[in-house]
Parts: sequence; C-alpha cells; structure tokens
Amino acid sequence: MSLRRWLIQLYPRPWRDRYADEFDALLEECLHSPLDVLDIMLGALDAYLEVPYKMNWRLMNMVNKLRTSILIVFASYIGFVIGGMSLYGLADDSPMAELMKTRTDMPLLTSWVVVEIGAVIALLAVVIGGLPIAWMVIRRTLTSSRQDFWLLLVPPFAFLAQMLYVGFVISIGLGFMHIPGVIPVVTPDNFPIGNRLVIAGKMLVFILGAIASTAAVWRIIMRSTPEENTLNIPGRVQPVRIYEYAFTLSIVTSLAMLLMLVATLAWGGLAYSALPRVFAENRGLLLTNTTGSFIVVILIMGLSTAAAFFGVVRGYSVKKQVA
Amino acid sequence: MNLSDFGRFSDPALLILASLADGPKHGYGMMVDIETMTGMRLGAGTLYGALARLESSGLIKAMTVKDRRHPYQLTAKGAGALREQLSLLQKLASAGLKRLAEA
Repeated sequence: MSLRRWLIQLYPRPWRDRYADEFDALLEECLHSPLDVLDIMLGALDAYLEVPYKMNWRLMNMVNKLRTSILIVFASYIGFVIGGMSLYGLADDSPMAELMKTRTDMPLLTSWVVVEIGAVIALLAVVIGGLPIAWMVIRRTLTSSRQDFWLLLVPPFAFLAQMLYVGFVISIGLGFMHIPGVIPVVTPDNFPIGNRLVIAGKMLVFILGAIASTAAVWRIIMRSTPEENTLNIPGRVQPVRIYEYAFTLSIVTSLAMLLMLVATLAWGGLAYSALPRVFAENRGLLLTNTTGSFIVVILIMGLSTAAAFFGVVRGYSVKKQVA
Repeated sequence: MNLSDFGRFSDPALLILASLADGPKHGYGMMVDIETMTGMRLGAGTLYGALARLESSGLIKAMTVKDRRHPYQLTAKGAGALREQLSLLQKLASAGLKRLAEA
C-alpha cells in the first residue's frame, strides 16, 4: 500500500467516502516531507475526535449503513440468480420438465410457476428500486467522476462477455467452429471432458461477470454523498429519498427470494416423489449427480436468502434511526 | 457564523475563505494561493480539516466537475462571514497601529 493510500485510510470511513478522491489528488502534489505526513495524521485524528463533526458523521454513517444494507440485498439477489440459473439448467430438458409438460394438473407444475412468479416479482423490485439510484449514478457519472464512468461500463461489458461466450457455444453446436476434444451435440452417454470445460467456462464467465458487476455497482453507490439521497422529480412536491425507497423494495425482493426458495424446495420434493430414479442418476449440472446438484442449488438459494434477510434486518434498524 | 467555533482550524478557515474570495479553487490551488498571499504553507491535513468544517457549515460548497480535484466556491453565507471577520481584523489592525504610533 502506498504512503498516500495508507494516510487516507487513517481517516474515518464517511470522511473518506466524501473526500478521499480529491484528497488523494491533492497529496499527489504536496506530500513532500515528514511534517506533511504528521499534519495529515493530526487531521485524521481530528476527523475522529471533533464533536460537531461526529454528529455529521453519525448521520452520514446511518445513510452509509442503509446503502450497505440495500447492497447486501442486491448482492444476495445476484447470488440467488446464480442459484436460479443452475436450477433452470437442472430442470431444462430433464424428465421433470417433460412431466410438467404432460401432467399439467400436478402440484409439480404449480410449484414451478410459483418459482417463476417469485422471479418476476424479485426482478421487478430490483429494477424499480434501482431506477432512481441508477439515475443518480448516471447523472453523477456524466457530470463529475470519470472513475464512475468506467465502473458503470462493467455490467454491460460483463453482459457482452456472456453473450460472446454464448455465441461461441452456439457456433460449436452448429458446427461453425471445431475445437479438438469438443463435439457439437452432447448426450448423457457422450459428454466429453472438452464439452464439460466449455459449459463450465460459460458458468464461470456468468459468475465472474455477476461478481464484477455487483462489485462495480457497490463501489459506485458507496461513493455517492448523503446529499444524493434525495431526488427531485418534476411535478412532484416531495423529493424521493432514494435509499429509503430502494430499501422498501429490497424487502419485497427478499420476500420474493424466500417464496422462490420454499417453492423450489417443494418442487424438488415433488419431483423426487414422482421421479426418484432421476435423482439417483447423473443428470445434474455438468451431468453430475442430480441430487447433489439440487442440494447445491438449494444451498446457494438458501445462503443468498439468509444474507438478504440479514441486510433487511440491518437496514430496518438503521432506517428507524434515520426517520 | 463565528469562525472561532472551528477551534485550531479558525485561522486556516479564514485563509481559505479569503483565497476563495476572487473565485473558485481546488485544494492545491488554495494551498498555493494562500502561500503566495501570506507566506504561510498549510498542510494537507489542516487544509482539509478547515475545508470540511467550512463545507458542513455552508460557508463554501463544492462545484460539480469532471475531475477528481473538486473546486470549491464561497457561498453568500461564506462571503458574509469573511466580510465580518475581515472588518474585525481591520478594526483591530487600525487600533493596534494607532496605539503603536501614539506610544
């Protein structure tokens, strides 16, 4: 860690959120002697000790905690999406999917529909809750910070990488591209290691993209100032308090995740009772054991839901203080 | 607004206000300007200790720019506080100089 960075880290978190960038730019030009270092260390100490400031920091801390809570729910949702995609991979083209198509009267289909309804609710809540934040971030990025601009490009780049990889997989499937050890069409009886690596790569690109996008969004939002908590909408008298608004919708997201988790468990139980043989076979992710894959899916969804509710409880206690 | 509320940062705060009196400046610009104006060099920690207080008191505000180095400008409240402080200093300087001349 460079001396500059270390010195900035000495300051309280809310101070850094507000001033770190410009302070760093200043230190690039005027950090010359041990006396400069001492002056900065005293400044950091002062930022912790100064009484009127502590009151401001307290408010900023609360807004920070609310933002962090929302981001915890958002990151959990992304984790849940990874679990959901794995569940889709498990069910797609499987005997369970065939059963749902042919026996529409079965609770198996109902539970699957509940999972899909939960997915739509959660996605809508994330989009609606995130719109004012996205607008605030875009506005700030276009008017002030270059670094935010690059961070803002991470999610579209991650999506582009995913699409390129999907194009790569499709071109193999259609026979446009030939890679040694990889065949165009696989079956459960003929799934070479090369094809497993290609599919694992697709999952890896998706997971890395999701992590990078989440980290970028996290970084952008944590750099916003408490003043940016309010958004004036033309024609509306009261400004929208965007983090409190997003927090309310993050509760909806978390409840939808819980609904999907319960429905997925029910779906798994019903699928097992209808087709126990399939769960003993290797029809899971990358043709591993079906039961094992399902347990992994439930673990990812369960942990994500637990993390989301942790964020909600944490945010609720902070929101009461802000109010 | 009394700058003496800023404790050890009251003098640096006055220097910052005076530096911003002729237009917006970023941190390093203020540092150089203050050194040119008074011969005093403010450390970065002192500068930002005073600057953060001035901002939270509404005496200065950050301008929105596409740069890491945020310029700051005086607010109307800041200009009033600066005028008040400088008038006090002017009275003090006049009285002190007059007494010295009479002694």
